[in-house]
Amino acid sequence: MDMLVEIFTTSLTPVVFLYMLIGVISGICIGALPGLTATMGVALLLPMTFGMDAAQGILMLLGIYVGAIYGGSISAVLLHTPGTPASAATAIEGYKLSQRGEAGRALGVATLGSYIGGVISVLLLVTISPQLAKLALKFSSAEFFLLAVFGLCIIGSISGDNVEKGLMCGCAGILVATIGIDSVTSYIRFCPEGNYNFMGGISYIPIMIGLFAMSQAFENIEDIFAEEKEQIKVTNIIPKKEDLKALLRISPITGLIGTMIGIIPGAGADIGAFVGYNVAKGMAKEPEKFGEGSIEGICGPEGGNNGVTGGALIPMLTLGVPGDAVTAIMIGALTIQGLTPGPMLFETNKVLVYTIFIGMFIANTLMCICGFAGIRVFSKVLSVPKVILTPIIFALCIIGSFAMKNSLFDVWVMLIAGVVGYFMSKAKVPTSPAILGLILGPMAEKNFRTALLKSGGDPTVFFSTVICWFFIILIVGTLFGGQLKEFAGKIFKKKAAK
Amino acid sequence: MKKIIALILALVMVMSMTACSGGGASAGSDFSKMNVTCVVPYDAGGGTDAVMRGLADAAKDSFKAITVENRSGAGGATGMLYGANAKNDGSIITMVTVELTTLEAMGNNAGLTYSQFKPIMMVNSAASAITVKADDDRFNTLEDFIEYSKSNEVQVGNSGIGAIWHLAAAGLAKVAGTEFKHVGYDGANGAITDLLGGHIDAVAVSYAEVNSFVQSGDLKVLAVMANDRLEAIPDVPTAKECGYDAVLGTWRGLAVPASTPDETVAKLYEIFSNAANSDAFKEFMTNTNNVIDIMDGASFNALIADQLEMYTGLVADLGLKVG
Repeated sequence: MDMLVEIFTTSLTPVVFLYMLIGVISGICIGALPGLTATMGVALLLPMTFGMDAAQGILMLLGIYVGAIYGGSISAVLLHTPGTPASAATAIEGYKLSQRGEAGRALGVATLGSYIGGVISVLLLVTISPQLAKLALKFSSAEFFLLAVFGLCIIGSISGDNVEKGLMCGCAGILVATIGIDSVTSYIRFCPEGNYNFMGGISYIPIMIGLFAMSQAFENIEDIFAEEKEQIKVTNIIPKKEDLKALLRISPITGLIGTMIGIIPGAGADIGAFVGYNVAKGMAKEPEKFGEGSIEGICGPEGGNNGVTGGALIPMLTLGVPGDAVTAIMIGALTIQGLTPGPMLFETNKVLVYTIFIGMFIANTLMCICGFAGIRVFSKVLSVPKVILTPIIFALCIIGSFAMKNSLFDVWVMLIAGVVGYFMSKAKVPTSPAILGLILGPMAEKNFRTALLKSGGDPTVFFSTVICWFFIILIVGTLFGGQLKEFAGKIFKKKAAK
Repeated sequence: MKKIIALILALVMVMSMTACSGGGASAGSDFSKMNVTCVVPYDAGGGTDAVMRGLADAAKDSFKAITVENRSGAGGATGMLYGANAKNDGSIITMVTVELTTLEAMGNNAGLTYSQFKPIMMVNSAASAITVKADDDRFNTLEDFIEYSKSNEVQVGNSGIGAIWHLAAAGLAKVAGTEFKHVGYDGANGAITDLLGGHIDAVAVSYAEVNSFVQSGDLKVLAVMANDRLEAIPDVPTAKECGYDAVLGTWRGLAVPASTPDETVAKLYEIFSNAANSDAFKEFMTNTNNVIDIMDGASFNALIADQLEMYTGLVADLGLKVG
């Protein structure tokens, strides 16, 4: 109790609230712009924290992190332009709803879903982080490989009715990801002689911007001078009873799963969102609506990606091991302040640790408030005529893909992906499997090879631990769940007949 | 018709945006009137990025404006090639690292070579620290570790095959007449996490990267591959003291394109050596466990040439050359 008083009198002063509010708002803006990811936002604003004290600095960075993961969903819903890879899964259902004129409803659910996921992860962070942290160290190459394979199985569920096309698209993504210097042996693959752009590999962020946003902008050109529809009224921002029910049923579960994914080093909010989508589809009351604009399909990934935020802090604070790319930068921020994240931090700087816990909760609340307050403002985008909006999207896509690495090569990658994406949508090929393949393909390959390298070529390493078996069961369940159910049903019927 | 016009307009816009490039500064070498860009060939948030941002912050009063730009990719080749081919008026300064020599030695340098640069100064260096789990009774000294590796398999994690920490571990093995099994990760973090979880036997990364786990008692450093013992861990011997003459690690410094006039380079040296000696930068480097190691342009150039020769020999011995 004394500590709470100390926290609120010394570290959580009104100034800190202001810093967090600045962090959350700038995070939402950074997240909403394509190409500017949560990682970049935190890295770019890091020098601003040099002059602050440790609590102020880290809480502002947390605000940016939480805000950016949520902010990406706003542009995903309104413009089919996921601002960060963590929102690619939300774009699938969110944009369909937005096209039907239910943007307000979709954004409201996304905001509350993010909040629920975030709060669940904070609760786990506060209550059982030392126990959960051990999970991070249990993961080695074999477990990472199986996690990536499980992630790739989700292609089936994000492909809608076109599973074959989705699988082909996923494979194409994995293939593109093999370009460049291979990380296990440094061998140069599929590179024009001496071209360093290809050597570095094709980054998935410009491809994502191209496939989603640029192709959408190309499509907009088709009817750019068409009579504008009636002014869309943004209604139902506050989720209705049935939406609330869906939120409360799905988001806490996907938030929990997101937290677990956050704990695992190297798996971030993008994977959390896709797994969340998959889980939501499995839990859905109306699975037939998936692919046509499903509210449940927003609850899932939004709970999942914001769940990762608290989860990623667990190994950072308890072990000093980053849970994802953003927390790796935060470890840097703490060391610059002369603090060492890890088990010692709980003993030497208990107040700071609890300030972070409480701050994380406040950051999520601020995100939720800013989100609801801003929905009407964000949605104004929809009433901008296409003649004006489309060139703006073009410009944002170009700036976003250039800003990643200040590289023109990435702009060309984005443009090519945009053209490919345009024809893909004409041929009704789902585009998100390509993103999943690009993210998870390299993870699967590298860890498969490293695991075998460490075991001396012995394949039993993939069956050697409990976590391995857990994922094997998940994979089999995802791939053959339907058939298994049918099979079990038949046997049961036969028995009943006898 | 309207559709086509719209399409053309949009394309023109796209093309013109991709074609435009920023105008460079032309204020001669009066840096107080110049916008200077520092190129970091790695991602924002990493070790090289941190040192560059710290140094740029300490030097900011000498320029009209100084910005740090990350151009990562191809193990650092992308950014360094960009910097090597930039304008030669000192407005674009590149942070070069040991990869300037290791990439060329490995053969995946895409045409990058150190003679494309004129070095300004070396800023910092970090030696490889052979680190194992604190509760690993097999290894209490570097000698234990080397002897054990002669008759058993020892898995040593690094930040990527062909990257500096791999070559450092391989160099030690060569000097000691033994062999390690090298396991590559994407960056040092993955290797350290795997060591903490007991999935590998050791890592050969810099002390700055394992410092927090040594402080917490999870890991212990057997030896550092530096010329002198590190200030932060005065009890840990150097590999040389243990009888293995291996001094290997990374270094970082500033460089401009080779055609930059000498007087411009001299001015930049003055500005950045003052910045590197400032209290603010010293405190920043101590807090982030980095060692300041200043060397002037000429000595730095000689060091780079030396290192290239050494790594070329090492890569050839190990059969690692790829291109």
